[in-house]
Amino acid sequence: MADVLFPVSLDQALDLLAKTEAPAVLAGGTDLLVQVRQGKKTPGIFVSLDRIEGAQEILETETEIIIRAGAPLARIMAHPAIRDHGSVLAQALAVLGSPQIRNMGTLGGNIMTASPAGDSLPPLYALDARVQLAGPEGFRRMPVRDFIQGPGKTALAPGEILWQANFTKPAPGTCHWFEKVGQRTALSISMVSLAALFRPDPDGRVSKVSLAWGSVGPTIVESPETETFLLNKPLTREVLAGAGDLARQAVRPISDIRATADFRRQVAGNLLMRLETPAKGKRLTRY
Amino acid sequence: MNTFLKTGPHGTAHPETAPPQIGLSQPRPDAAAKIRGTEKFTIDLPGKDDLWAGVKRAGIPHARLISIDTEKARALPGVAAVLTHQDIQGSNRQGVVRQDQPVLVDDRIRHCGDALALVVARDKTALGKALSLITFEAEVLPGIFSIEEALAEGAPVLHPDHETGNILLAGALTQGQGLDAFKACAWEVTISLTVPVQEHVCLETECGRAIFKDNRLFITASTQTPFRDRNETAQALGLSQDRVQVTAPFLGGGFGGKDGITVQTLLGLAALACPGKHVAMVWDREESFIASPKRHRANLSYRLGLLADGSFHALEARADFDTGPYDHLGGVVLALGLEHAGGPYAIPHTHIEGRAVYTNNPVGGAFRGFGVPQVTAAMEQVVDLAAKRVNLSPMEIRLKNCLTRGQKAPAGNTLARSTGIRECLAAVAAHPLWQGAGAWLKKAPAHTLRGCGLACAMHGMGFGPVVPDVAHAKLELTAQGRFRVYCGVSDMGQGNAATFLHIAGDLLCQPIDNIDLILPDTDQTLPCGSSSASRTTFTFAHALTRAAATLKERIVRRAADSLMVDDPEEFTLVPGELRHLTSGRAFPLAVMAGFMNPDERMAVSRYRAPTARDHVTDNKALKMHGVPHAIFSYTVHFARVEIDTLTGGIRVDRYLAATDCGRLINPALVEQQMHGAIAQGLGYALFEDFLTEGGQTLTRDLSTYIIPGALDLPPMELISVATREQDGPFGMKGVGEVGIDAPLACVANAVADACGKRPGTWPLTRVRMLALLKEKP
Repeated sequence: MADVLFPVSLDQALDLLAKTEAPAVLAGGTDLLVQVRQGKKTPGIFVSLDRIEGAQEILETETEIIIRAGAPLARIMAHPAIRDHGSVLAQALAVLGSPQIRNMGTLGGNIMTASPAGDSLPPLYALDARVQLAGPEGFRRMPVRDFIQGPGKTALAPGEILWQANFTKPAPGTCHWFEKVGQRTALSISMVSLAALFRPDPDGRVSKVSLAWGSVGPTIVESPETETFLLNKPLTREVLAGAGDLARQAVRPISDIRATADFRRQVAGNLLMRLETPAKGKRLTRY
Repeated sequence: MNTFLKTGPHGTAHPETAPPQIGLSQPRPDAAAKIRGTEKFTIDLPGKDDLWAGVKRAGIPHARLISIDTEKARALPGVAAVLTHQDIQGSNRQGVVRQDQPVLVDDRIRHCGDALALVVARDKTALGKALSLITFEAEVLPGIFSIEEALAEGAPVLHPDHETGNILLAGALTQGQGLDAFKACAWEVTISLTVPVQEHVCLETECGRAIFKDNRLFITASTQTPFRDRNETAQALGLSQDRVQVTAPFLGGGFGGKDGITVQTLLGLAALACPGKHVAMVWDREESFIASPKRHRANLSYRLGLLADGSFHALEARADFDTGPYDHLGGVVLALGLEHAGGPYAIPHTHIEGRAVYTNNPVGGAFRGFGVPQVTAAMEQVVDLAAKRVNLSPMEIRLKNCLTRGQKAPAGNTLARSTGIRECLAAVAAHPLWQGAGAWLKKAPAHTLRGCGLACAMHGMGFGPVVPDVAHAKLELTAQGRFRVYCGVSDMGQGNAATFLHIAGDLLCQPIDNIDLILPDTDQTLPCGSSSASRTTFTFAHALTRAAATLKERIVRRAADSLMVDDPEEFTLVPGELRHLTSGRAFPLAVMAGFMNPDERMAVSRYRAPTARDHVTDNKALKMHGVPHAIFSYTVHFARVEIDTLTGGIRVDRYLAATDCGRLINPALVEQQMHGAIAQGLGYALFEDFLTEGGQTLTRDLSTYIIPGALDLPPMELISVATREQDGPFGMKGVGEVGIDAPLACVANAVADACGKRPGTWPLTRVRMLALLKEKP
């Protein structure tokens, strides 16, 4: 088994990444150690984010929420600022893995795994989140949707560390909805998931719709067509059924051991039907 | 007498310092260790692990082995031995009925999990490295991956020495006029379906330790069958039985998966090659998935004929089982399935036929339920179809047709003993969940279909008419004045060991703290048969009861003789003491033990369970494989389910089970058995799907083989219809399996009630459910 290094500052960590042979950044390890056990990854050394100052922080500014890469999922989902302004993310994290995994796993780890089934990703896409990468030459920023390039693939360059994700607080009155369909209720890997943000006007029509699906393509799927279709319409059953048809055209699912492509396509559209409730005046937020 | 277990007498825990009482719940002494995770399973027990053994597995499903190259592995530093079939002195064959499974392949590879070579190394790193260095040459043969392929003309034959080719065992049971009786039927209903392979997923994977010293082989293993293992290991490795000792500590789950050899012969072989060294072996989850036996996939095809009044008149049932490449217990599973194919109903004319078939899929073997969950899945659905056809409710048709005591079961055996199926049905019918079903069904929320389902099952106890269902108990008063139960039958987690302490405590009037337990050990304890077949407590408890009576009488008589008292009845056992009732004087049991010599302080007793004498078939093989049984437990299950039409998710909302397993010794343990069986049965119905393609396992670990979690399981209410089984110890009957027989059928009927459709392939995962909803009716 390889050694684990515990740098205490970001600079020290970047320095270690530059100087060591085949390093792997360890941020919780709930995915990485599974891959190591399966022989899919053979790091020469682990560089842990665990003791880096500030690496686990969750910060709130006037307009933004900032989550550092090493913040454990359980802390993120329980954080008042996330509950108030990023409920869609909190809802997703609440059904990610198990309590043990949520205690160990981090947001940075979940983003870096870049799995189409990564539960934090659809909410981050829907929130239009950006990531900040730290490297020897300083920081660079980009939208999370540009950072994720394919299954297991990101824009992270060798020697860089994913340092944080941040998003602008959604306007007051925005509804947050996340639903994951797995093979069982808890401790499940998503077969299809949907993150939705939308703001109903007093007359029931929606302005500002943002949708993102997990596990229905090589990366998270967004559908501007579906969003545009829904804009300025009330979320009635008929409207949502129409949106569902557009969503089914937008997704690019595959069949694997968990689900068929047909199931994923069908459910990707069906999940929009859940958004009907708030149009009847109920507030659709789980927290 | 109905006991509602949830509100039953164990609500108030019995003080642990008082003698336990039969019929009252008693916390099991191993509960705390199990909950805290401190219990020592086989590989956790303190011991030296000088060497680790591991297996090179074939990884291909069917081939003729030409050669194995072990040279590189042998040359690796840290490797103590690399063994192949050539190093085996004995028969190199294992199996319970047919010895058709090699310890290490010598000729034919028949499934991916077949063991080719055994490596013994000083640590796990060297072991892994050495295993990766072993190569082999083989001529790949066309494989058989389904029941249909095995039976096809010109199919490759897996065991050329087997008379009936790829059919391991076939059998038919015909009663009355058989199929001719359909002519008289007013109605006929049919169903065909396939039920899946299920993996046991024991918390503790297969593991053990062995050492060869003083010319004897000592094996400690996680096993349900220590005595049978001793015989099989000795034979396969060419040792006499007396030179092998097998011990079985508490198991972390068995469910049938450890009913037979897993690591035992391999460990024995490793130890023989490295005398004087402690050798350990543990299969990881992936290896366990590939190498261990599973519940048989079954193809079922049923036809039920009814008279105009809705009474069952004729049944045609066909059940074929995929037993994989080896018998294991496949023939016995088939036999039990055929015997139970008609369920707990009076059907005068039956033709029940089935086959267990060899394939190159993973080995099919023992699994809680043992063929009965498969056939119940078909029978209970065809009963609901019949109800619809004759316009009776599912409850009415079952009450009309269920067996009553004295009638013949569908296999032709007479039910002379306790038969509580009607009372179970009545208990469910009277329950608020059943009564309120109609109102609940009407309140389905948006995108939701609701349905209610009912299913019955019966389950025979023991080994059938031929194989002796015997247990020997040994009970000792120790020199220190404590009692010691020598138990030769494994406790795989179901709590039979706790029950034996409970019984001994009750009979000897001792708190459980005063009683020690010796777990199965072929040197110290006496043969008790396997921990299986819903017979574990039944058979051993009888032997223990007799031993307790003998020992108690001996202590009392000895006291009477020593103290010159005429009437031994003047003495009685109380906690820690023998009390002379007339004088009130008490003698510590340690003092009493001092009067007695060691032989006198030891009582031994044997019990053989009663068997059915009905001649229901001329097929000697079927009889030998266990048809028919004499004593049955019964259960009726009721489920409310909700189908989410957007995702295909099936939520079992509430669950009710009324069970006749005779009188209860420890109601808390019966409740645990039922909870566990229902949970495992719902896993079978909705989640667990062990998939292979071309003999290769696709669901290789617990991230793809899905077992239900706590949030997937409904609140369960349990009712005990406590008949008194006249041959049962304290009136009890077995409860280990009957609870798993009905859940799939119960869910199937509830789903059909909700959506009007019945799937042909199980389990009913979300993907299958959504596809089923889209199907045209």
